[in-house]
Parts: sequence; structure tokens; C-alpha cells
Amino acid sequence: MINISKEEAAYILVDVNLTEANLSHSDQFKSELIALLNDKQRSIWLNMQHVSYVDSSFLGAMVAGLKHAIGMKRDVVLINLQKDIDDMLKLIRLDKVFKIYSTEEEAQQAIA
Amino acid sequence: MAVVSKQILLVDDNPLFLKLLARAFDKAGFSCHSANSGQGALAYLQTSMPDAILSDYEMPEMNGLEFRRSVLRNDRLKDIPFMFLTGFDDEKIRYSGLDLQAIDYVIKDTPVEVIIAKVNNLLHAVNKQRELSEMEIRQTVAALNIKAVPEKIPVINGLTIDFWHQDYQQIPGGDFIDFIEADDRYLFIVLGDIMGKKWKAWFFTFTYLSYIRAAVRFGVSDTDNSTASILQKINKVIYHDEGLRDILSSVSLIRVDRQSGQLSYAGAGDLPLLHYRQASQQLTQIDSSGLLLGLLPEGNYTEQDIALEPGDELFIFTDGLIDFAFADGKKSDYPAFAQKLQQHIANKQSFNELKHTLQQQSAQLVDDSSIIHIYKTT
Repeated sequence: MINISKEEAAYILVDVNLTEANLSHSDQFKSELIALLNDKQRSIWLNMQHVSYVDSSFLGAMVAGLKHAIGMKRDVVLINLQKDIDDMLKLIRLDKVFKIYSTEEEAQQAIA
Repeated sequence: MAVVSKQILLVDDNPLFLKLLARAFDKAGFSCHSANSGQGALAYLQTSMPDAILSDYEMPEMNGLEFRRSVLRNDRLKDIPFMFLTGFDDEKIRYSGLDLQAIDYVIKDTPVEVIIAKVNNLLHAVNKQRELSEMEIRQTVAALNIKAVPEKIPVINGLTIDFWHQDYQQIPGGDFIDFIEADDRYLFIVLGDIMGKKWKAWFFTFTYLSYIRAAVRFGVSDTDNSTASILQKINKVIYHDEGLRDILSSVSLIRVDRQSGQLSYAGAGDLPLLHYRQASQQLTQIDSSGLLLGLLPEGNYTEQDIALEPGDELFIFTDGLIDFAFADGKKSDYPAFAQKLQQHIANKQSFNELKHTLQQQSAQLVDDSSIIHIYKTT
């Protein structure tokens, strides 16, 4: 469901290979994300380019991953969000807790 | 309503047989995905959730038993009905598969129509069992008389309050509504949505409701009845409650002053409310600043007053109403819902008529959906 596409010193870039991210994926996604955070002890940058819909269960799993990361003084960063999802995150103020960037380069510039 | 075809995953290393099988299942109305190895099937299952799996037993590298074991190790996949296709009637294979909870075995020589009939029977039996279990839980819930939405609507001079609520697939979920009569003067209107669906979310609605009811009553008795302070108190408790770790909820909280008719509002990760002003005949968005309950120790909640003029309407709703299913997938579209609402009001339709329309479309909903309507009469 999530695949590492790049490992950097400061972060791991991960592709989320789903188009519709929903209840049936949320538990597995959450455990994979948390396992990766624990294993790598680095921030996770989620490449969301393929995801066109996120339901509230999956959103809950993303936020649970973020809470876990914050507890470790790490982060979960969202990259390449499709417009509908970006709009929805802004509506419910999740853009105030997730760092959101259009591209990996933009994230590198902002975070570095 | 469109009929959704059943999805089946066919796994076989023989491409000809796989093709034949897929063609027959397609013809029988199934939506098929074929994989020519256990590894290929597992890769597909990473992102998909078929209704049934039909797998060959004898395959090079990863045989059917190993494939089945991998499926069983995955909590998300382990309950998908699974059938083995065997090349011959080998009792040994049947016995070795007994601990793997394969629901049935089919010999490959069996005519394809019979294989399809077996899969159909299996899916029918599984669905029947699921329906019975759900009915049993629903009856238990009904007997306990616990509800996440109120039975009575409060009556307030100058305001008409109403709501509509629909569970996703008729299974109680994470939406909750409450009208809390804190004292003779103040009424609190609550609309919440636990992130998630079905029973798991539903279970936590009562914990959340208990905290909210307590915080409202303590707030009123402490004379700090600001909606923002109440949300912050609830947030703090939930953030530190180990039992609610990772269970987050949005809440819209509105305080109605019966004496002045004043409405005050604070939101926690909720969708912006929509205010219809009769004077301008336009809907305007009311945004709040607060984060989902339980997310961070400080939720940044702020209170704002909402001034309703006679003829104005206020709509408070959960995300189920902004999610739409299209032929090419699902989509969240808040502006589309706002536009639908604007059109509805422009057509001079009442909230009762809106409820009726929503009810008629409820089969297409992709999540629990709730909407509260407040109408200023005088």
C-alpha cells in the first residue's frame, strides 16, 4: 500500500499507491506508517499524487500517523495532493497541522 | 441506482485457463481481476479488496497454500471468502488446507458454469451470515435504547430547529447529534462526527457525547459557558484519554440564548457552516478556527456570534453530505453541496422537502450524513 521511493538523511519519501483511500485500507495504512516511523526514525513524506479521494477513516489514519510522528519529534509531510483533497484539508483546518507542499523540491526548500 | 458488480480475484499460473475463467465470470456479471501468480495476486491485494478469491492450488514458486497463508496473515484481507481450485480430487490437499479456513474446493475439471454457481452460492451464504450478525447487533442496540441522535427537537421562540440523519449502509456510524438543555436560558446544539465508519466509530460516539454533555453542564454551572472554552475542555480531556488514542472527532457547537435569541458558535475540525441571508438571498460560509478534538493539546478554538435575521437559515452538516460517487470514483466537493443547497432555497423548497430529497438519494451516500437546520422565524 505504501512504498518507499527514496531514503534521505532527513526523510523517507513514500508513495501512497491508492486512488480511493478508504475504510478498507485505513487500519493497514496506519500500521504501515507507524511501523515505518519507528523503524526509520525519520520524518515521512507521503507522495499523494495517485490519491483522488480520502474518506474520514483514512484521514483518521493519516492524522494518527502524524500524532505518532509528533510524539517522536518527527513529521508526516504531504506532497502532490490533488486539488479536491487539498481543498478538503483546508476546510477542516488540517492544513494547520500537516505540512503540505506541491512538490518534493518545494518541501526541501521550505523545510531545509 | 446502478448495480455494483461483485469483484473476484482469479489466481492461476495457466494463462489459457485464467482467460477462459475470466471470460466466463465477466459474462456472469462479475468484475474480474486475474493474476498469474501468488505474488501478483498479493501485489493486487495491497490496494484492492475483492469480494472473493478463487486460487489455483498448484503453482510454481508460491503455491496456493502459501498464498492463502499470506492472505490470512493480513487482518484486512483474511475474511475475504476464498476457494481453492485443484487439478485433481486429492484428499491430502483438502486436509492440508483445513487449517487455512479455505471455504471450499473446486476441481478444475468442473464445468465453468458450476464453478460460477459455487462462487455465487458462497457469496450468498457469506452475505446472509453478515446480514444476520448485523441484524442481531442492531436488535441489541435497539433493546438497549441507546441512540446517537435525539428523539425530541427543542422548541424555542423565534427559531425552528430540525435535523436529518442517515447512517451509512444502515449501520450506525460516527455521526452524533445532541440538543442539551443546560438550564432555563441556554440550549446547546451539538453535531459531531467521529472519524471512521460503522460500528467502530459508533462505539465511541457515546464516550464523546458523555464528555460533551459533562463539559457543557460544568461550563454553565461555572458561568464560563463560551463554546470555545467548552471545546477546549473537552479537547484536553480527550487528548489525555488513553482509551481514545487515535479516535478523533469533529464537533460544531452552538449555544442558543433563549432570552436574547443570540447564537454563538465554535467548531472543532468541522466543515464551515452555511448561512442563508434572506436579504441578499445568498449563502455565506462561516469558518471556524478549531482543530479536531483530541489532535493536539491546544485546539485553537474561538467563539463567534451568528446573527440571524428573520427569514435567515443556518445549515450545520457532516462530511457525508459533501462526498459524491461518480462513475470514475468518489470525490469530496463542498462547493457542489453549497450550490445544491442554494438551488434548493432558490426554488423556495422547505427543509422538509430537502430531507425528502436527501432521503431519496440516501442509497448513493458514501458515509454517515447529518444536517441540522435552524430557521429564524421572528
